[in-house]
Amino acid sequence: MSDQGAMRDHWYPVGMTKQLTAGGRDTLLMGEPIRVYLDNGAPAVSDGTGRSLPVIDRFGHVWTSLGAPNRDLFTIPEADQPGRRLVDVGVCRVRCSPLRAVENFLDIAHFPFVHTDILGSEPHTEVQRYEVEIREDVDEVWATKVKFYQPQAAKSAEGGITTDYMYRVCAPTCSVLYKTCPPKPGEWDVIALFVQPLTETLCEVWPWMALYDDAAEMTDLIHFQQMIFVQDRSVLENQLPALLPLDPGMEIPTRADMTSIAYRRWLKRHGFTYGAQLVAA
Amino acid sequence: MTTDWTPAALSRDIPAASAAPGQLGETDLAIWRSASGRIAAWSDRCPHRGMRLSHGFVRGERLSCIYHGWGYGEGGQCVRIPAHPELTPPEAIKVPVFAAAEASGVVWVADGTPAGAPPEFPGFEGFRSLRIHAPATVLARAFGGAGHVIEGTLGPCAVVALIQPLPGNVSALHLLAPEGAGPATLDALSLAAEALRRTAEAQAEQAEEETA
Ligand code: FES
Ligand SMILES: [Fe+2]
Repeated sequence: MSDQGAMRDHWYPVGMTKQLTAGGRDTLLMGEPIRVYLDNGAPAVSDGTGRSLPVIDRFGHVWTSLGAPNRDLFTIPEADQPGRRLVDVGVCRVRCSPLRAVENFLDIAHFPFVHTDILGSEPHTEVQRYEVEIREDVDEVWATKVKFYQPQAAKSAEGGITTDYMYRVCAPTCSVLYKTCPPKPGEWDVIALFVQPLTETLCEVWPWMALYDDAAEMTDLIHFQQMIFVQDRSVLENQLPALLPLDPGMEIPTRADMTSIAYRRWLKRHGFTYGAQLVAA
Repeated sequence: MTTDWTPAALSRDIPAASAAPGQLGETDLAIWRSASGRIAAWSDRCPHRGMRLSHGFVRGERLSCIYHGWGYGEGGQCVRIPAHPELTPPEAIKVPVFAAAEASGVVWVADGTPAGAPPEFPGFEGFRSLRIHAPATVLARAFGGAGHVIEGTLGPCAVVALIQPLPGNVSALHLLAPEGAGPATLDALSLAAEALRRTAEAQAEQAEEETA
């Protein structure tokens, strides 16, 4: 079994609360079989030996840990603002490193090529300088003042606009993005990517949204996000090596990749290496 | 490292302005043809974030990566980074390049510089490539020959069979048919090739069971 390292003591999404049954869902967490089920109406998780694992029910998903988390699962305060629609998008299985899935979520430069005519389009490919920091007080990676021209930024967007983004990495396999919200200027839509590491090269991705969009049908919102993610999957399953290289040398970033560089540095600093490779192969 | 030519694809399977995956030993290749018709074989890995270049797109004389659109030209040199349109990419950003040449409708590749041109088979042209789950030796034997270049008969006609060993007990069979063969002959040849595949795969499976 590969080394779970420091990631063992963190929280991971393992199912959608609404979909739980008493019979349960058999799945994997970092290579270990677990079962996620309803016990007297409350979410519960046990490992392959029958041991009960800790549980948190938050953001429409069930969270657990194989180890002993020394802090609470992160919060998304904006999601509690009144008037938002909370959208459980569902699950998408991807044959890639959980860390590569998060890194792709942090990346805007691929919009014109992977989400052509939706989240980006040529010739509007330039990535302006933005700001990245590791916020030591909360131990999170933040990217702010990110801007990108988009032909159809969201289901609710009509025509092209320049969208502002902020990105936040709040756990080894979780990221939240904030983006300009077309129907409500001055507010941010919230889109989160919760990644369940099944193995180092296989993950299940649970996107989740808290939107001000009140016109669109729920199924349309879900389909829009799923379509975007299917496009990402075609890239994620074809990156070499499958593991995320944490040491410089194997891959060549540019200024547009500042968020990815900070994410890799943060992972390495904490020993979050499940799904990563350390030495250039 | 080999400086011999290896057959890696058929010319007809890589039309102008397209890219396809290929292999040279253990190395994954992106084999692509420019708009003007130049063939090239590069490492199938974009230096930026490791995306397979065989999924990329060709514009003019450049191959671009599908992930962030980085464009690569002559010699694998990166010439364009769309996120930074004003930037001239550093010379160090380069995709490893392999030798590639075409003869008798076959794309041949090599690591290094082979001594001569790849072989010609006058009167034959590339017909079909098949991926077969059997080692090259088993495939050659099933065909009734030996080695990696076999001239013989398959089904209705004379053929040249080029056998490319691939990792994991797999082979590619690049089949050349007589120039100008009619549709009926080629249909029958296709069926014979499928039958050869089944025979070779059955023999490989049997050999595996015997050693198990
Ligand atoms: S991975 Fe090829 S351009 Fe980014
Ligand atoms: Fe994407």
